[in-house]
Amino acid sequence: MKIAYSHLVSHIQESPTLEMVSDSLFQLGHEHEVEGNIFNMEFTPNRGDCLSINGLLRDLSVFYTINHDQKFYTDELDNLQIDFENLSQDICPQISFLKLEIDNIPHTYKGYLNDYFIDLNINKNNFFTDISNYISYETGQPTHCYDANKINGKLIFQELNTDQEFETLLDKKINLTDKNSVFLLNNEVINLAGVVGGKRTSCSSKTKTVLVECAFFKPEKIIGKSIKYDIQSEASHKFERSVDPACHESVMRRFINLVSEYSNIKKMSFVSYKYEDIAAHKIPVNVNKINQIIGINISEDEYLSYLLKLGFTIDNSLITVPSFRSDIETQNDLAEEVARAIGYNNIPKKELSIPKGKISNNYDIENKLRYFLLDQGFYEVINSPFVNSSPDVSIRVDNPLDSNREYLRTNIINSLLDNLIFNERRQKDSIKLFEISDIYTLKDNQIERIRRLSIIASGRAGHNYEDFSKKINIKYLTKLFKEGLPGENFDFQILDRNSTKTKIKNEIIGCEVDISNFSTEVLNYKEISKSPDNFIQYCPISELPYSHRDLSFSIKDHTKCKPLEKFILEYDDELLKKVFLFDYFYNEKNAEIKIGFRFIFQSIDKTITETQVNNIMSVIIDKAKKLDDISIPGLI
Amino acid sequence: MSFNKDILPPELIKDRGSLHPINHMKDSIMSLLVSFGFEVVDGPEIETEEFNFDMLNIKKTHPARQMHDTFYVEEKLNLLRTHTSPVQIRGMLEKKPPLAFISGGKVYRKDDDATHLPMFHQVEGIFVDENVSFAQLKDLIYKIIYSLFGDSVELRFRPSYFPFTEPSAEVDILSKEGKWLEILGCGLVNPIVLENCNIDSNKYSGLAFGLGIERIAMLKHGITDIREFYKSNLDFLNQFK
Repeated sequence: MKIAYSHLVSHIQESPTLEMVSDSLFQLGHEHEVEGNIFNMEFTPNRGDCLSINGLLRDLSVFYTINHDQKFYTDELDNLQIDFENLSQDICPQISFLKLEIDNIPHTYKGYLNDYFIDLNINKNNFFTDISNYISYETGQPTHCYDANKINGKLIFQELNTDQEFETLLDKKINLTDKNSVFLLNNEVINLAGVVGGKRTSCSSKTKTVLVECAFFKPEKIIGKSIKYDIQSEASHKFERSVDPACHESVMRRFINLVSEYSNIKKMSFVSYKYEDIAAHKIPVNVNKINQIIGINISEDEYLSYLLKLGFTIDNSLITVPSFRSDIETQNDLAEEVARAIGYNNIPKKELSIPKGKISNNYDIENKLRYFLLDQGFYEVINSPFVNSSPDVSIRVDNPLDSNREYLRTNIINSLLDNLIFNERRQKDSIKLFEISDIYTLKDNQIERIRRLSIIASGRAGHNYEDFSKKINIKYLTKLFKEGLPGENFDFQILDRNSTKTKIKNEIIGCEVDISNFSTEVLNYKEISKSPDNFIQYCPISELPYSHRDLSFSIKDHTKCKPLEKFILEYDDELLKKVFLFDYFYNEKNAEIKIGFRFIFQSIDKTITETQVNNIMSVIIDKAKKLDDISIPGLI
Repeated sequence: MSFNKDILPPELIKDRGSLHPINHMKDSIMSLLVSFGFEVVDGPEIETEEFNFDMLNIKKTHPARQMHDTFYVEEKLNLLRTHTSPVQIRGMLEKKPPLAFISGGKVYRKDDDATHLPMFHQVEGIFVDENVSFAQLKDLIYKIIYSLFGDSVELRFRPSYFPFTEPSAEVDILSKEGKWLEILGCGLVNPIVLENCNIDSNKYSGLAFGLGIERIAMLKHGITDIREFYKSNLDFLNQFK
């Protein structure tokens, strides 16, 4: 909601600057962006009472002196005779009507009414609707204006199952379905209560006689309607957060006063229906409780002074909650009021000490498994549980994001298979992934929860001179896991590659195991990896293709091995993504070492060219050749 | 020319994998909280409305309960938990105060855009004892944030609204660029929630807090697109060794 600084400050005696008001609003918990002289407010859902100038001023009165200078019509009002029936009094326990007839229709506004439209860049509509919109901005109470001459029958308020088209005053046609709270005229919906009025009975630029409706609707009956019918309505925003049920007469008297500033009122009459007494909430005065909740030590006088400023009244050791604060029910609510007034940041902290807790055994086993897998070169992934397939045991989502995410997965391995193909398509030749997750299925109509570990691997065993030429297969993985976690059962299987639609022929090996199947022997595993102590700064990744080059060296003087290795592995170029030693061979016959490196190139922003790669390789070769007793076979 | 008699092969550099950065962050935060005295508790991701909403004082009319915000399963019999708070409810029903629990894991909300995902991670904590105050909550939050971001970081508390805490606060830290960034939500446990868990709210009070792991991981690692976490791209994961 947008509120102009000038509209607030004109009622504040101390004339605080925009920055001061902004700071005060933040202290009170009213988050906002400052856009020029406008506060773009984001209120928490419990503070519907602040959705207006007056609402914010009530809160700001903790810090400032507020001038209550708005004028109200104060004379007695005639009783309005209206043919109205409320058939859903539980939804609308209070409703008022005001009928006004004016002499002439003004076309220009002055003073604060004009400022409202100019400062907030709001389009004018017609006189009565303009007044209604301003009243909502000033008081927080939405009112609806019917052209009184169009109300030619009995007006009924009712919640009913509707199945009819309704044209809003915003010229939008909507199909009302299911239960809706509506106003009916001759069995036709003329107003979707608390959301938007209808075109048929709306005011126009010619309307001289208006019927103003001012109501309190139970928020739970309004909530969701604006989303359902896709109507952005300030009225529904306010009604959903609850309005002040006790404000009707003062709002109507303010309405009359505003109209009278622009036109002579020929006739006016008012009626208010109260079907239910909304009793004021009372809470005992207990400053000790407030001090205990916040952790401070203020006097009762100081405590009560904050509440008085916020509109609470105190009588016989009871605090009466104002009618506009439907969110206040308990001592904790009052403590929050006091804490806001003092300022959360001004409350000193107090040492908290908690006795030492413990970690469950399952958590330890999972952690050991994770570190074992890390040591074997596996990467942990996390996948969404939503899938489109539906085995019998699948749990169906009632309201999926789309039809491809209609069920919860019944295994992890299929997600890992997708991850593996994703990485193969990005030229990865050694892929090892794992995921630990809960899996939920239906068993005998009951939801069963199983915690599982799933593993998948394909391609080269690794990127070092021992593993580079080995292909991942069942034998390789079984040996690796048996050595690391003897006694544990990993039933590795070859996964079907046919569904992957890739040309790569490497075997895909995977398995999925219930975590509960692992023994506590897993805890004996001595991990090599440690999680990093600090958190690295991430470098954006490239989706562009790689290019690679292999380079082999013959070395006669073995002492030159290390310098060469150091030079190559530490060589830095922004296009050189990775380099590793993939081949090593010692020829005893001629006492010569052969050593091979793979260089992988990739650019972050454009496809790398052969020329770029060749240029970098030339520099590397030239520098390497300067090392004595090192040759590059095949290089002229 | 010199020849060594025992030729040593080059160092065999084994490829190491990495923890997923979200799990790493979650584990780091949970380890920190365990060091403060919290006990780890675990609970299901499929929950009932009772545990996910009712027990937490989230009224039937609260927008979070609508079909456009919460995933319901099996014809509205259950739902995918929208926060890890139900785990704490289960913990409070099982044990008597004083108690200090943390729970971490996946939670689900019906969002899917550049800044929100339908699945994300939270760590939440609760401490219930006699005379727990907002001033003590502040002490704990300072300790958590200083441990995560260093003790020179500037932070502020803002009043907020959560149905399960009262008073409620959101905590921001000041970024290097001078922008306030929201880090966590916290508050004193609403006495209604304590009573729902058969805890005498006249005798006991509690504090609670919750952190979104993705948000903290994005800040700590400098990641700007939340979707990167869940592409399972080895080029991404490889950076978190």
